[in-house]
Amino acid sequence: MSDRENWFIDELERRGVSRREFLGFCTVMTSALALPAALSARVAKAIQGAEKPVLVWLEFQDCCGNTESFLRAARPTVADIVLDTLSVDYHETIMAAAGTQAEEALRTVVGDKKGQYLVVVEGSIPTFESGAYCTIGGRAAIDIAREVCGGAAATIAMGTCAAYGGLPAAAPNPTGALSVRDAVPGIKNLVNLPACPANAENITALLVHYLTFKYWPPLDEFGRPLFAYGQLIHDNCERRAHYDAGQYVEAWGDEGHRTGYCLYKMGCKGPVTFQNCPRVRWNEGTNWPIGCGHPCVGCAEPDFWDKMTPFYNHLQGPPFLGPGYTVDRVGVAATAGIAAAFATHGLISYIKRSREKPEPAPATPQSTDAKKGDAV
Amino acid sequence: MTHIVVDPVTRIEGHLRIEAEVDGGKVQDAWSSSTMFRGIELILQGRDPRDAWVFTQRICGVCTTVHAIASIRAVENAIGAVPPPNARLLRNLIIAMQAVQDHVVHFYHLHALDWVDIVSALSANPARTSSLAESISDWPLSSAKYFAGVRDRLKGFVERGQLGPFANAYWGHPAYKLPPEANLMAVAHYLEALDWQREVIKVHAILGGKNPHLQSFLVGGMATPVDPDKQSSLNADTLASVRALITKAHDFVARVYIPDVLAVASFYKDWAGYGAGVGNYLVYGEYPEDEGPTAPLFLPPGVIRGRDLTKVERLDPSQITEMVSHSWYEYDGGDGKALHPFQGETRPKYTGPKPPYDRLDTAAKYSWLKSPRYAGLPMEVGPLSRMLVAYASGHARVKELVGTVLQKLNVGPEALFSTLGRVAARAIETLVLAEKQGEWLDQLAANMARHDLRTHDNAKWDPSSWPSDATGAGFHEAPRGALGHWVHIRNGAIANYQCIVPSTWNAGPRDASSQRGPYEEALIGTPVADPAKPVEILRTIHSFDPCLACGVH
Amino acid sequence: MIQDQPLAETVRVYVWEWPVRVCHWLIAGSIAVMAVTGLYIANPGPITTGLASQRSLMGLVKLIHYSTAIVFGIAVISRIWWMFAGNNYARWDKFVPASTKRWKALGPTLGYYLFRLRKPPGFVGHNPLAGLAYTIVFAVYLIMLGTGLAMYSVSAHVGSPLRWFTFLVPWFGGLSTARWLHHGFMWMLIGFAVHHVYSAVLMSQVEANATVESIFSGYKFVPREDLVYSGYRFIDRKDTRG
Ligand code: HEM
Ligand code: HEM
Ligand code: NFV
Ligand code: SF4
Ligand code: SF4
Ligand code: F3S
Ligand SMILES: [Mg+2]
Repeated sequence: MSDRENWFIDELERRGVSRREFLGFCTVMTSALALPAALSARVAKAIQGAEKPVLVWLEFQDCCGNTESFLRAARPTVADIVLDTLSVDYHETIMAAAGTQAEEALRTVVGDKKGQYLVVVEGSIPTFESGAYCTIGGRAAIDIAREVCGGAAATIAMGTCAAYGGLPAAAPNPTGALSVRDAVPGIKNLVNLPACPANAENITALLVHYLTFKYWPPLDEFGRPLFAYGQLIHDNCERRAHYDAGQYVEAWGDEGHRTGYCLYKMGCKGPVTFQNCPRVRWNEGTNWPIGCGHPCVGCAEPDFWDKMTPFYNHLQGPPFLGPGYTVDRVGVAATAGIAAAFATHGLISYIKRSREKPEPAPATPQSTDAKKGDAV
Repeated sequence: MTHIVVDPVTRIEGHLRIEAEVDGGKVQDAWSSSTMFRGIELILQGRDPRDAWVFTQRICGVCTTVHAIASIRAVENAIGAVPPPNARLLRNLIIAMQAVQDHVVHFYHLHALDWVDIVSALSANPARTSSLAESISDWPLSSAKYFAGVRDRLKGFVERGQLGPFANAYWGHPAYKLPPEANLMAVAHYLEALDWQREVIKVHAILGGKNPHLQSFLVGGMATPVDPDKQSSLNADTLASVRALITKAHDFVARVYIPDVLAVASFYKDWAGYGAGVGNYLVYGEYPEDEGPTAPLFLPPGVIRGRDLTKVERLDPSQITEMVSHSWYEYDGGDGKALHPFQGETRPKYTGPKPPYDRLDTAAKYSWLKSPRYAGLPMEVGPLSRMLVAYASGHARVKELVGTVLQKLNVGPEALFSTLGRVAARAIETLVLAEKQGEWLDQLAANMARHDLRTHDNAKWDPSSWPSDATGAGFHEAPRGALGHWVHIRNGAIANYQCIVPSTWNAGPRDASSQRGPYEEALIGTPVADPAKPVEILRTIHSFDPCLACGVH
Repeated sequence: MIQDQPLAETVRVYVWEWPVRVCHWLIAGSIAVMAVTGLYIANPGPITTGLASQRSLMGLVKLIHYSTAIVFGIAVISRIWWMFAGNNYARWDKFVPASTKRWKALGPTLGYYLFRLRKPPGFVGHNPLAGLAYTIVFAVYLIMLGTGLAMYSVSAHVGSPLRWFTFLVPWFGGLSTARWLHHGFMWMLIGFAVHHVYSAVLMSQVEANATVESIFSGYKFVPREDLVYSGYRFIDRKDTRG
């Protein structure tokens, strides 16, 4: 084993992580990423052998939830090491330096490590008012994003805000907030890791994948890694048997709710949301929203603030009509309106016709058949 | 006169910019500005009030529960829903664990590096560190070997040459006063706290599905079912897990956090003389011990003016207003007005310099924060305010702990009005809450034993049961202080929504009569040894635990 | 020649060939089934009790919905094919008002419905307004198929060719949007059915041409003049008295 690897194993042991636990972690990561088991050795090697790649974490119009989620990264002691595997040279929430010293740290990375560093962006990017809705050190977020993401080896848009605009971009989008993809078109190797916030398990899995293979996992149409967003919540949900059976929670705290019936009628968005929540769950597998009796709100989907609301109705109402206008309510009303209109029409026709003098009786049906060649 | 700008202020939540005039080694004047706006109050308009908590929760991912709580309380207040006892207890448990975890993370991961010199820790003697640690606590991780391990790990980290988040800081600055051994101990606890916070917050996952951004709140109660006989509900097994985590939380607070705060504080007693701020303290009160709007609160509400601990005024919510004379907003009736949140307006109007810029025009408007006032006065909110009001109202446990701390540090109660006072008050509050949690858990278990399984007031779930026009206010004590949400509901949809958040109170700019906000006032007189490395400014600002995503929203 | 005969005479015309009629009824029938099952999917109840493993109410309803969707899909595609293979009345140009003649007759037809004219322009097959409505209805069929397939595709088992249709998901703005579009357009079909049945009955009465019967038998009885002029009369003579 090389010195570097020894250093790493020593390091692990100092932290009370045995070599075996570490390899176990690598196996777990390998399976989280759905990689063949033989690759787990390669994951281990990649983690310990790598030069610490530099990571820059930018926060724009965010709530810091993804940073907090990152701090909850699972497989505790070893996740800590995964952090050490990176050199986090800029992250406003945790870095010691402030002000000019912090700005300098960022400048150094962008200047010295061009094309080699990773960027995480948390939060959306405002475009109205020349970007004055989010400035850092007097610079507009969009400027910083262009420069920093533009020079990066890869960018992770972490959380729904960075990936799709998220909450700040919800109607009426007062600040012209955009996702990273829309604000800085054409940047290299952009991966969206949505959810509000992104799950620590998926954050770790994504980084390990990149560190191991130096490329990003396959993505879907919305730029999300398939390993975490390839299947519907609904298709992996522990309450699915109750859904199929027709057993639903009807009121909060009712017998069905306590028994773990399906939350569909309470507004669950599991049927239209892609994420691996039911399988990896949250906080080291402790629980997840549906596990705790609350419907999924679809937090990993683009525009879920507008498309999944009202949250307690599983079907969105026609947009812009406001709460209370369900599709069925509008549909029934429209159908009733049509029926009423035609009933009126029928009545008027009847009255009009009965007032007219009877026309000569129309020809009787036993008339000749149309012949070939008759015009139409 | 030197004009200094600290932007970004780091190790906080959000985007804060401090500008200050320094002369004679002291801050003479200061301006606090937040440079990020999202407009969540505007985004809420026209939506279903039952959805609002999910939106407002995303005001902040650090204090991830508080805007959810304030929101459901505001809507419940408007529509007249009364959550049953189990919902109240579940909420109390969630709120308390939020405060405990948030305070510890603040101390170790956001604040400590202002007091602790990591580089100095490299030269610590592990054996002496061990005796220091053992002299202040019986925490088991205290052997010389353990500290040697931490030091070597730190060495290894430094020797690899990539300092990552610890690069470029103020190490070696003369304002750092701790001996190397104390620094090493603090570094060890920085790392332990990182593991601890991830562990204890699982209480939120059990009771709320996940953390951050728990997902079990409901207008009218909680979505978490309780039933001792059901595997999909909170039952004896899950209660036991919560119990274990609560114990773990208390253990660390009592045996690591409190002793560390006392140890660090004893080297920085001069900071009991800086950072006092506006001297007015506002508390809404928290932890209802019974149902309904008049239920007694475990931490009492009240207002203290002019540092007068002999008198706690009754809180009158109608005295609360917000001004925008120095904020990038306009008011319909003129920017000089002070509006109560029920009449509140959020009309962003940027008039600052076009980015990129070097200086803000601090004579004009200079922040995305509004300026909240109580009876026209700026108010400090937060753990210090809560502990002062509790202390002055005769809260037994708070009085006892405050007394102990003052005595251990050998200072008088006036020391509380300071940067150091905030650090101490936060620690005391953490202990009080860590001790209290078990009681609420016991009450929950007792209810379940009696087969009281209600967690929600279903009667008010359907919007057709609501008045067509209603207003409500929801108050909450968030980790950083008094939080209020005000909602106006018309025909089942939100007509207006206003939040006044702890960090709006504390970090807000000057008002129409040029009264400084609490951050600004607290900075006056703060010593600055080297204007190029203003670590002292960070100390006072960090003592408030800023959260600007909250403050502006 | 037909001109020699009196115009008032009615002629029996074979308008709807059997594929038109069969498709019509398969489509109408499957819409009825899918609307009922779809409404249950959207608003399930009453709930079942007992062991989940022994109940499958929603599962069954969905199975019916999906199976009927196959019938519906085949019928719609067949009818579209027949727009190119069938007789004159079944052709695509009797749907889209592509010719000037049909385009210009739209106004007078509408005028009839609004009581401005006493009789509609005489068309043997679809009148232009009905044709236009059917065009829209066929577009709705395609949207129902598209959104339905989009929703189905993401849960189709691995290897199923239906997985291929996942490309439709972003087309419809994501699954949640696809879902409410699917649901919303169902109401359009229901609304159309109300109007459509009424119109058929109305036309049958006014024109006494067995419009309603025609969708069963295939035959309509139309004035010879309609066969000759086929709507021209109204446009050319601006004859509001018919
Ligand atoms: C034109 C006739 C149809 C009608 C009236 C109809 C109606 C409906 C309705 C009302 C729903 C419930 C939507 C909701 O509120 O959740 C639904 C669901 C669905 N329909 Fe249809 N539908 C039709 C055709 C189709 C077709 C052609 C497909 C093709 C596969 C299809 C597949 C689906 C699927 C996959 C669902 C979602 C079921 C789920 O919740 O998992 N439908 N349909
Ligand atoms: C869901 C219900 C129905 C739908 C969606 C529907 C749809 C259609 C469509 C698209 C056409 C054009 C025919 C073609 O060329 O393929 C049509 C024609 C026709 N349908 Fe229906 N139909 C429905 C129910 C009915 C019912 C219940 C009746 C009988 C009362 C009926 C009577 C007719 C008649 C008479 C025609 C020919 C009318 C004309 O062209 O003027 N339909 N229908
Ligand atoms: N200020 C603030 Fe919060 C807290 N505590 C909110 O109400 O941090 Ni994000
Ligand atoms: S995605 Fe959610 S958690 Fe992340 S920054 Fe946005 S609001 Fe916060
Ligand atoms: S709870 Fe939600 S995701 Fe789970 S089965 Fe029911 S509808 Fe699907
Ligand atoms: S709300 Fe989000 S966290 Fe998972 S269960 Fe739904 S995607
Ligand atoms: Mg506000």
